[in-house]
Amino acid sequence: MSFQTGITNINNMAPELPVQASEDLLSTPMFNLIHSFGVDLHHAEAYIGKTTRMSRFERLSTDGGQLDGSGIDPASEVPVRTDIDATMEIYAKSIVTNEQVVLWENSKTLTKFTALLGQWLREKEDLLMRDLFSSSVSYINATGGLNGDQPSNISLNDVNNIERLLLGNDARTMLVSIDAMNKFSTGPTRDAFIALANTNLTRDLQTVQNVLLKANYPSQEGLRPEEYCSISRFRFFVSSKGAKTPGISTLGNTIYTIPMYGLEAAAKIEQNNYTAIIGYRPPWVVSSVAQNSQLYAKFAIARAITNQNWISGLNVTTFQPS
Amino acid sequence: MPFTILTGGTFLSDGTAKKINLPSSADYFRTWNLTQIAQTNPNKVVMAEWFGPKFGAGASPSNDGLRWVKTNTLLQIDVFSNSTASDGFIYVTSTPVVEPQSANAITLITQAAGAVVSQTNTYSEGDILQFYGTTGMPQISGMTFEISTVTGSGYTLIGLDSSGFSATATAGFTRRISKALAVEPQFLYITGISQAVQAVVTTSVDPTAYYVVGMKIHFSIPAGFGMTQMDQLTGTILSLDATTYTMTVDIDSSAFTAFAFPVPISTTLTGSALFATLAPAGASTTRDPNTYVETGYNFQFQPFRTGQFVPYLLLGAGAQSPAGADGDQINWMAYKLEN
Repeated sequence: MSFQTGITNINNMAPELPVQASEDLLSTPMFNLIHSFGVDLHHAEAYIGKTTRMSRFERLSTDGGQLDGSGIDPASEVPVRTDIDATMEIYAKSIVTNEQVVLWENSKTLTKFTALLGQWLREKEDLLMRDLFSSSVSYINATGGLNGDQPSNISLNDVNNIERLLLGNDARTMLVSIDAMNKFSTGPTRDAFIALANTNLTRDLQTVQNVLLKANYPSQEGLRPEEYCSISRFRFFVSSKGAKTPGISTLGNTIYTIPMYGLEAAAKIEQNNYTAIIGYRPPWVVSSVAQNSQLYAKFAIARAITNQNWISGLNVTTFQPS
Repeated sequence: MPFTILTGGTFLSDGTAKKINLPSSADYFRTWNLTQIAQTNPNKVVMAEWFGPKFGAGASPSNDGLRWVKTNTLLQIDVFSNSTASDGFIYVTSTPVVEPQSANAITLITQAAGAVVSQTNTYSEGDILQFYGTTGMPQISGMTFEISTVTGSGYTLIGLDSSGFSATATAGFTRRISKALAVEPQFLYITGISQAVQAVVTTSVDPTAYYVVGMKIHFSIPAGFGMTQMDQLTGTILSLDATTYTMTVDIDSSAFTAFAFPVPISTTLTGSALFATLAPAGASTTRDPNTYVETGYNFQFQPFRTGQFVPYLLLGAGAQSPAGADGDQINWMAYKLEN
């Protein structure tokens, strides 16, 4: 009987398991959720229809009003109520898993899948709010940029124009000012409206006149990671899912939409007891031979622009075509 | 491969493209033209099939699909090649965007009330098109318009009075987009506002598809359009007209300066590059408790809601297409593979 001689090494004695799992999974990519936190949150009760009404009384006229001493009463005014309605809608997602995956997989598959569904809940909600902003608001084309396109890239003049519109309509800022501090290269931020932009615009945002990048705020306390900079009276938040429409500028480039708004401009309505439901259906329910189980997530949401006077925004292109 | 029949239905073709909402992603879709299948030698599509992305290299190219043509008393297959694919199946999975269709060049837009566009096209009556790069007529570059009186070589824009423009458009592009945006009611482009006690507003699309009497609308009128007094006002719709694409509102514009498109500074740039638009601003609902008459409310139009259900299949129309020609009875069925 012959035998091999020499040193036993990894060439003649390969490891039994050539791979091993690291201590944890890598991160699942998640985009910045920027489209919900600046809106009002309302709640809808069950059993009374799927449409939620939000009402506002318009202010009374300030014309006239002086009594002339004749004893004749001034004309009375009928108050005007404006109703904003929104329809509740339900969205759902499920993952059906075969028992063999669970049986022979060692990464706690169902737990991981549950986490994925939880992430889907928040991401889907964010995109639904983005779609509201991009569909039901009037936007102004940027004109102050120098890229020669229509609309142009963003400029300070364009941002200031939106501030003028919002202030002219008595919109209220949403974020409080950050006081100046004795730190090099920092400057105070004024109380501000919110602006939501696609991450493709960050290169242009950095070059807008008087931009204050987030790192140059006097304090970083309480800032959201999605925030990018402050320009004029707006603080910009960015997401890779910010609204855009490819190929429709005058030069055939992508147009990006930047919603810019103050308090009570938009609303998200949640259905009570239906905001985030995650459930499990066991194999004996899902499959006739009890081999497939199902995880599901669902939520109900309604959305509305509640005051068009307090929301506007810009259509822009990028300085370098995108 | 086991499969589930997701859903099915039937419709009477009106000669225009048909949108079929799907309750989930689909892997296979089939139509039957019951009208033509009963004919002798119709030489028209009697059955069409679409294979979804799951089929990989075997998936149907966008705007195509397998089409079975009956050329005598038998069924014979006639598959359109990719190079001539048109008016087939288009599978749309996201909004707000375009029914995937490549840009289409235009050769002329006339200066007229009801501008006429020259363009070789396969569009249908009532399609909504996004215009851009309109050389000579930059005022409308980026706007959307509803088209009518459609032929293979052109169509009319009821919502555009370009008679006051300084030049015709000699080039440009269009893309077809969804009639509904991701959320409704949607903002609309304004192409005209009259000076009247009750202002008449012209929009680029038929406003009756999106708004009803009693709804409030908020105006955004950039300075370049002249009628600056209208900017940021909110009015209530008093009437709508589907033939002229107009709506009458309770705003007295008789003393306002005239509305006009900005004058271009070049053949490709307007200088102001802005659009006049209107957006939904609620309604003032009233209900007479004596007569039970309710005004200013319409569940179909007023509430903010999803405008464009996805995913959906857009079926092209015509004798050689899955949605058939005017008057054809079409059955359809959507399938989902279980693995």
